[in-house]
Amino acid sequence: MQDNQEKCKELAIRIYNLDEEVYKCVGSSLGRTFTGQKETTIRHLAALMYTKPDGHLLRSELALISNMARTIRDKSERRRLMIEYDSILKEIESLPDTFGKTDIVDKARISLNNLIARRQNEISENDHLIICISRTQGSGGNDIGFELADQLQINYYDAEIFDQVMKRLQADKNAVSDTGNFERFDKYRKKKHTDLKTWFREFNRYHGLPKQDAVFFNMSDLICELAKSEDCVIMGRCADAILKNNHIPHISLFISAPFQVRVQHVMDIRNMNLKQAVRFLKQMDKQHKKYYEFYTGEKWGKPENYDLCINSANYGLKDTIELIQRMLDQKVH
Amino acid sequence: MKKLVTVLGAFFAVLLACPLSVFAAEGSKAPSTVPVWLCIPFAGLLLCIAVMPLVKAEWWESHQPLVVALWIILMVVPFAFVYGAGKTAETVLDCIVNDYLTFIILLFGLFCVSGNITMEGDFAGSPRVNVGLLALGTLLASCIGTTGASMLMVRPVIKMNSWRKRKGHIMIFFIFMVSNMGGCLTPIGDPPLLMGFMRGVPFFWSLHLFPVLIFNMVILLFVFYQIDKRSYRKDIANGRKPDIRKPGTQFRLDGLHNIIFLVMIVGAVILSGVLPGMSAFQDAAGNVRGIHLFGEVTLTFPALIEIVIILLAAFLSFKTTDKQIRIRNHFTWGAIQEVAVLFIGIFITMQPALMLLKAVGPNLGVTEPAEMFWATGALSSFLDNTPTYLVFLTTAGTLAFTNGITTTLGTVPTKILSAISCGAVFMGANTYIGNAPNFMVKAISDENGVKMPSFFGYMLWSVAFLVPVFIIDMFVFFL
Repeated sequence: MQDNQEKCKELAIRIYNLDEEVYKCVGSSLGRTFTGQKETTIRHLAALMYTKPDGHLLRSELALISNMARTIRDKSERRRLMIEYDSILKEIESLPDTFGKTDIVDKARISLNNLIARRQNEISENDHLIICISRTQGSGGNDIGFELADQLQINYYDAEIFDQVMKRLQADKNAVSDTGNFERFDKYRKKKHTDLKTWFREFNRYHGLPKQDAVFFNMSDLICELAKSEDCVIMGRCADAILKNNHIPHISLFISAPFQVRVQHVMDIRNMNLKQAVRFLKQMDKQHKKYYEFYTGEKWGKPENYDLCINSANYGLKDTIELIQRMLDQKVH
Repeated sequence: MKKLVTVLGAFFAVLLACPLSVFAAEGSKAPSTVPVWLCIPFAGLLLCIAVMPLVKAEWWESHQPLVVALWIILMVVPFAFVYGAGKTAETVLDCIVNDYLTFIILLFGLFCVSGNITMEGDFAGSPRVNVGLLALGTLLASCIGTTGASMLMVRPVIKMNSWRKRKGHIMIFFIFMVSNMGGCLTPIGDPPLLMGFMRGVPFFWSLHLFPVLIFNMVILLFVFYQIDKRSYRKDIANGRKPDIRKPGTQFRLDGLHNIIFLVMIVGAVILSGVLPGMSAFQDAAGNVRGIHLFGEVTLTFPALIEIVIILLAAFLSFKTTDKQIRIRNHFTWGAIQEVAVLFIGIFITMQPALMLLKAVGPNLGVTEPAEMFWATGALSSFLDNTPTYLVFLTTAGTLAFTNGITTTLGTVPTKILSAISCGAVFMGANTYIGNAPNFMVKAISDENGVKMPSFFGYMLWSVAFLVPVFIIDMFVFFL
């Protein structure tokens, strides 16, 4: 089984390298077949081979490379790359049909789990302890995250991430409406009237992308950079999904509490009456959900998407932090 | 291979079960019947184009010319048996010289010139950018022709969306709108309208179709935006992101001087429509002057002028443009070669079907605008839309209307002329072979990492998204 997996990975690397070489030989600037990240693409290709050795998806991906390879002007290069292409095809065809039958473990996901990866020594010295915390408003998630980072003596990122992204985009900080809780995020809400000049300026600044998407893309880069360089706690920002897509090991937590408890918490800390607090929480939940689902395609708060889901009301802030720490202490250290 | 033989066998069986021949219009010259079975090679070739890339892709790619030649022989030999060698040679030569040659040279010229213009920049393909590109391309198509706009826009669209995984639908809607619909506003836009112009339809009359075009654009762009948004979100969810690390957008067009050659080609197309009507190009009998080749086949001087200008533009474009631009554009001859090979087969094997259409078209009893729209459109989806347009325009001209646009074929009511024009121009988008740029866009996309649907896969898209729009068009504009 392990041999087969290794074989698939090796073939996937060869396919990726072949595409890279073909694109280089063609000299085109229109984009290669695999434009995604190397690591992700290789895993995707290996998964295609591992689960569907004769699947049409893999075949059509390969066909796109061969289409491009056939247009290489240099005959000897074309011949060399087509020989490599044929050899890869033959090896794929020789893969056994049945080796894809495995147990229930999601191997792609498990290798991203910081705890298990550390235990199985699948994590390198360069990988860091990254804790991604998603939370509902009023569940005390921010306090838990902040305190946890403090106790673990690692960095805590929330609004800071946005600040750095904005610096990178050279945007006017005052123009940033989102301060960390997605209060203004709503892609479908009718936007305020902007004049043509502003529209063109933003269009140019954000490469033709909607501002929120451009910010998200830059934020994704920044989260990946942080995760590769230090241990940290990252609050929200779809960080769990971003790190998963970029194949960076992390621990993902979802912290919530019953609605009534959250209402009480919000009333206490925000000086709101019951009606205001209920309205505020419903709106926040809706916007959190919309943001998360828009950028990740996953259901926000769905237990399957996280390593651990905690009802903070069952423990209180202090014990929730202790619970998480205990889990980390036992497994990590 | 077994599957293919079964499908082919079933198809032929159905065709052979059809009436063996259709009687031509009364009074036409001998032979009075056009055997339906003569259309089998055309159907066979279409079936090969549709099925072979699915069942035997690599073999098909390397043996296309042989297969096309085989179907041509299978059409020419029985045709000669029915009509005689002389008539066959005349039909084939006429098709090659007067239809195929100008068609492929125009395509070649636009392919060469547009391949020498490249866009450098880091605009990222997003739903709103793509909607803007499609809208721009659609409107541009009426100014420089559907083929010109397609060739000019296809590479920038591919490049901007290169960061994305799901982009086949972008090229499909590109074919729907830029390669077809956009051509409805002027005679430059699409060859059928140029034919109409040559038959007396005023040059700017097609602007009457603007409301139809805008109506369709709004519907299709809205649908496209929704589809593209879903794909865009899926791409983001899978971790795809464009390279936007640098603040601000760099945008540059290289090889821009080729616009001059593009204008030259558009000018040549206009001349080919204008010159035949001028007395200097007509003999005493009113026939267009030219080089007599065989029988009644003549390569007319206006066509010759068009060919020379286009080839000159292509030559100058190559001579004056840095080779690096073509390399960056991934310019290859593959796409044009494929179209040239397949379409010579399509043009020649299509002749019996066109003869059949000419024979039965006027007797179909098609008189209402909605009927004209669907009849012209349905046939334009598979046959060349220019002769299809002419058959139905001629039919409409013989219906003795007194109000409408006066053409050399008779007076045609505006609504009927609109229906015929829209049917011919719009429904070329129904299949890959409905209009020349369709196949070019597919071939260029295939070469540049865009996964395009198969022949039937594409038809599913057109049935799902175009046909409902055409049904709405019928209710709003042609009933």
